[in-house]
Amino acid sequence: MDKLWVITAREYLERVRTRWFLFSTVFGPVFFALLMIVPAIMARRTQASEEVSRIVVFDATGRQLGRRVADGLSVGMIGDTARTRVQELTPDRLAPAESAATREIVRGELTGYLVLDSAALGGRRVRYAGRNASAEADMDLIRRVVRESVMQTRLEMAGVEPDRSASLVRTQLEFDLERITDRGRGGSATVSVRFALIILFTLYMALMLYGQAVLRGVMEEKQTRVAEVVVSSVEPWKLLGGKVIGVGAVGLTQFAVWISSAILLLRYRGQILERLGASAMSFTTPDVTIGMGIVLLLFFVTGYVFYSSLFAAVGAMVSSEQEAQQALMPIILLLVSSFVFFPPILSKPTSGLAHTLSWLPFSAPIVMPLRIAVIPVAGWEVAVSLISVAAGSYIAVWIAARIYRTGMLMYGKRPSMREVARWLRTS
Amino acid sequence: MNSQHVAPGPALTRSTSSIFPPMSNPAVEIQNVWKRYTGHVAVRDLSLTVPRGSVYGLLGPNGAGKTTTIRMMLNIIAPDEGTIRIFGEPHSKAGITDRIGYLPEERGLYRKMQVRRVLRFLAQLKGMSGAEADRRIDHWLERLGLRTSEKDWGIAKVDELSRGMQQKVQFISTLIHDPDLVILDEPFSGLDPINAQALKDIVMELRQRGKSVIFSTHLMDNAERLCDAVCIIARGEKVLDGAVAEVKSRQGDRHVAVVLSNGTPAGVPAILRDRALVARCDDSNRMLEIELAPQASAQELLARLIGAGATIERFELVRPSLHRIFLDRVGATGVEEGMTGHG
Repeated sequence: MDKLWVITAREYLERVRTRWFLFSTVFGPVFFALLMIVPAIMARRTQASEEVSRIVVFDATGRQLGRRVADGLSVGMIGDTARTRVQELTPDRLAPAESAATREIVRGELTGYLVLDSAALGGRRVRYAGRNASAEADMDLIRRVVRESVMQTRLEMAGVEPDRSASLVRTQLEFDLERITDRGRGGSATVSVRFALIILFTLYMALMLYGQAVLRGVMEEKQTRVAEVVVSSVEPWKLLGGKVIGVGAVGLTQFAVWISSAILLLRYRGQILERLGASAMSFTTPDVTIGMGIVLLLFFVTGYVFYSSLFAAVGAMVSSEQEAQQALMPIILLLVSSFVFFPPILSKPTSGLAHTLSWLPFSAPIVMPLRIAVIPVAGWEVAVSLISVAAGSYIAVWIAARIYRTGMLMYGKRPSMREVARWLRTS
Repeated sequence: MNSQHVAPGPALTRSTSSIFPPMSNPAVEIQNVWKRYTGHVAVRDLSLTVPRGSVYGLLGPNGAGKTTTIRMMLNIIAPDEGTIRIFGEPHSKAGITDRIGYLPEERGLYRKMQVRRVLRFLAQLKGMSGAEADRRIDHWLERLGLRTSEKDWGIAKVDELSRGMQQKVQFISTLIHDPDLVILDEPFSGLDPINAQALKDIVMELRQRGKSVIFSTHLMDNAERLCDAVCIIARGEKVLDGAVAEVKSRQGDRHVAVVLSNGTPAGVPAILRDRALVARCDDSNRMLEIELAPQASAQELLARLIGAGATIERFELVRPSLHRIFLDRVGATGVEEGMTGHG
């Protein structure tokens, strides 16, 4: 078995076995699910309150319209038939009944009352009075139920069979909303910007977190002196390479879990939300093609190799956490400087700044995916950018391997820049 | 240096190669190796040969270049000049390190890792299969008492072990792949007496099984008891090397061990200060180790001591201890300020 593989496998398995990995990998999808479900449930709460069924219906039509409305209001999770009172009466009894109901409403025993008379049956007007008369969601529900009930009664009056009338009235029209913008249809600007920001933050966080994981791993091996035992068995570059590959594989595993769970959640969100009694709101997902996915993956991998090698080199140079913080500054600055320019790049993805940053090896892994997400970028530009990052990574690995070889066995004082330069020349 | 070479017996004339006949190749052969760092030379034109099947001591004060030499043998750092051969092959040849077991001076293991997994990992780095490694791990854990019927420390994390137990795990990691050459850098530093004895037993067992062992130390007592051959280095240079008996005989038989049973009578200090008779006297409280002056004879010393009223309990012509030789040859000037990491 190749020794590089042995080191990679150890690195990967030891990290995947930790509680932290389990937590963060599972927490991602849970967080995503919450992000999807909670707003829907919140929206349901604002759709109609439980109060909506705590009303009295005065039915002066003599055609059981009030009963039908009450049944309609009690459908669903929040309805409660027992709470909706139906009072059938003659039109001349309406006025005293209404004033009695008003008193009850004032005392808080009732939410409101609904008056159905010949004008309602004629399809002209219905009266509602109550505490929630200004609650849009409640009124929408009552309006819909009354409209359907009136329609159904009128159909029956016109001689349609009750079974058929019910099915004719119940229509669930889903409205697909699509916006047309300057860029044409579908290109919902807010969606692609949101998508671009997600990619930006994910890449930035991933490069930072996994880079630091490599740094800490290297420092641990140096501080515990395991490195000396290991490099007496394998070439130092294999220890370095195995670590970088192992940590990277952990990152890709995590992403694979997150992305596939996100895809599953999005595909089945209708069913899931229905189970929970909330209606699915329209949610525009960005169009991500396979090709774009591969390009994103390539940028992550090359960018990761670039930064993690530099992090590893720092880890090999220093002997303590404080030294590491100092020595890390230039690398963190590179990473942050590619991140902080995102507002101007998002607002003007074709500017000179955007072009320059998407070609420099240290910023391209973050800036180029950002541009790709918001505007179409020519294939050759993407290729140039990728080649630049790959070349940068190669140099970073070359530097890291040399610093690593010497630095891992140097304890005590942090080496000066001149000493590091000599390591690069001689080792 | 020591020209008045007296050769009392055949044992003292034997050379290294006669004790270890030139069967095949030596375990390690270092030729004219140099290693320079900024500001100092760590190893200066060093040549030495470690015969196969021997226990070899690399002796020297702190900062003498022992660790650097060992690291160069293991191809962890490259020499600036010179060649190193292991079992007759260039030391950088792929796979040669699989035949070497190495215990570095500064020890450490992955703290958060399970003991078994650490050992399996290190064994696989030496080219062993996982199954074979598991079998040997069981054997070693039991042998060193880390796995009993009550408790299996193999499934504990390294962190949870006491220091002594961690040292045992470290020994196992050095020997797990049954190496032909075992290199121990300052193996006795920081060991409790029980682990020190366990390590000595292991070294002797390895020797019986025909393995070669190199260890560096600045403790001459251990070296004298364990080594077949030694090399003393100071300031990166070889001071002397050879089989222990030969090294001692080369220093001559001008040494006398004296024990007086009635303390130190008044006339004795004056005798010991007489440079015509005593070149040097090492008073280790209960015993005096005396090096005779070039023209003096032991008889004369004995007569004068008795004349001074001393009661002789012991008066013996001895070979000098390695400790004595080390002090003679390296001296206080050989002990440079210790330079961490460049041992």
